[in-house]
Amino acid sequence: MSTAVNRPRWTRQLAGLIRKDLRLELRTKETVVAMVLFAIVTLTIMQFGFGTRDDDLTRFTGGLMWVTLAFTAVLGVGRSYVAEREQRVLDGILVSPVPRIVLLAAKAIAIVIYMTITELVVIPVVGIFFVKGPYWDSIGWIALVALIANVCIALSGTLFSGLALFTRARDLILPVLFLPALVPVIIAGAGATHAVVGGPHDMSEYRGYCLFLVGYAILFLLVCIATYDAVFDD
Amino acid sequence: MPEHLVSARGVGHIYGERPAVTDVHLDVAAGERVAIAGPNGAGKSTLLRMMATLLRTGTGTLTVLGEELPGGARRARCGIGYLAHDPLAYLDLSPRQNLQVYADLFGVQDANRRIDDLLDRVDLIARADDPVRVLSRGMAQRLALARMLLHGPRLVLLDEPHASLDAAGAALLDAELAAMRTDGRAAVIVTHEVERIASVADRLVVMRRGRIVVDEPVAGRGPAQVRARYEECIA
Repeated sequence: MSTAVNRPRWTRQLAGLIRKDLRLELRTKETVVAMVLFAIVTLTIMQFGFGTRDDDLTRFTGGLMWVTLAFTAVLGVGRSYVAEREQRVLDGILVSPVPRIVLLAAKAIAIVIYMTITELVVIPVVGIFFVKGPYWDSIGWIALVALIANVCIALSGTLFSGLALFTRARDLILPVLFLPALVPVIIAGAGATHAVVGGPHDMSEYRGYCLFLVGYAILFLLVCIATYDAVFDD
Repeated sequence: MPEHLVSARGVGHIYGERPAVTDVHLDVAAGERVAIAGPNGAGKSTLLRMMATLLRTGTGTLTVLGEELPGGARRARCGIGYLAHDPLAYLDLSPRQNLQVYADLFGVQDANRRIDDLLDRVDLIARADDPVRVLSRGMAQRLALARMLLHGPRLVLLDEPHASLDAAGAALLDAELAAMRTDGRAAVIVTHEVERIASVADRLVVMRRGRIVVDEPVAGRGPAQVRARYEECIA
């Protein structure tokens, strides 16, 4: 006979975990500030490294932006379980009746929020640093592809950071696993950005890259659903 | 026949190639408080972590709160309270915010009132909104006690509970353990403080090299007698 009490609702668990992550970030400001600063410094270095303000780097804009965002994502994802690990809270979370996929979803949503805040700074800076042609009328399209890419980054990043969490060489393992997995996101993000920046918009190319990113997100969502229990419980 | 909240049959666990727990048979009935003692590396904490669903059994069958693990782990977790060496609290959140996180995870009804009641009971209401980082170790462990009790668990699993608790926290824990005898809850206490077993447990289980070597009632024994019996078992 089962004597355990009723199961709590997963929606409340999810909301509670997201609220917790955002509260921690608001209090410590360790992740978003680090991500924004890292992205700005990287873009500044690239601005100097690729020429002067007089050079037209418009056709490289997508690549420069998405390589920067990929490295920034590694930084953010790498910090996603820092509080649980360093403050030894993970056992408390794992002994609660929270489905492991809800843990993933909460971390992934937090990463989407952190990436979005970073992009609010990065996307305008990219326009100022690299684009000579029309840019600001494309901001909406760039924001849309960034949002889809953020979901891809968050799903794959949360999965890999969960896997790396229990390894001793986690600081090495995470970028080694995560960055190659981001290559398709960089290609599609850069391609979609290139399609709408600096000239007439090629919407069919843009749409193709966006659909590719949606497929990537669905694939990683399925992988997460299939494996995330095992990541934490085995 | 008594209702067993924990039932282990031939349970074992291996770390790499080193067996940590071997062929453990143990029943914990409702209302019972079982103390597990033994030297370092005896497998006490590993066994407790398996009961807490934090570690999978390698061999044997482990049933907790009527749920066979690992399949029923999520249902079992609803009724488990776990107190570890560490407070399992976010240091940058306040005691109240930490308890709110756990209240959401366990689906505690009327959470705010329950949290205030518990903070009052563990004498942290005045520090309820300070970050845990600035609390003393004893205060943080009292918060851990509140966290453990938050969802009204039927089975509490305690790993060296008195090691970090201050006097007030220890008294509160002892009162809680005493109440369990009558209200159908159960406790498994891993401890090095053998003398305390006489006052907080009904049964003494001694582990050595991953196996249970003694499982007997404590009744009628004082601290010195429990200590003598323990020394005899591990000699």
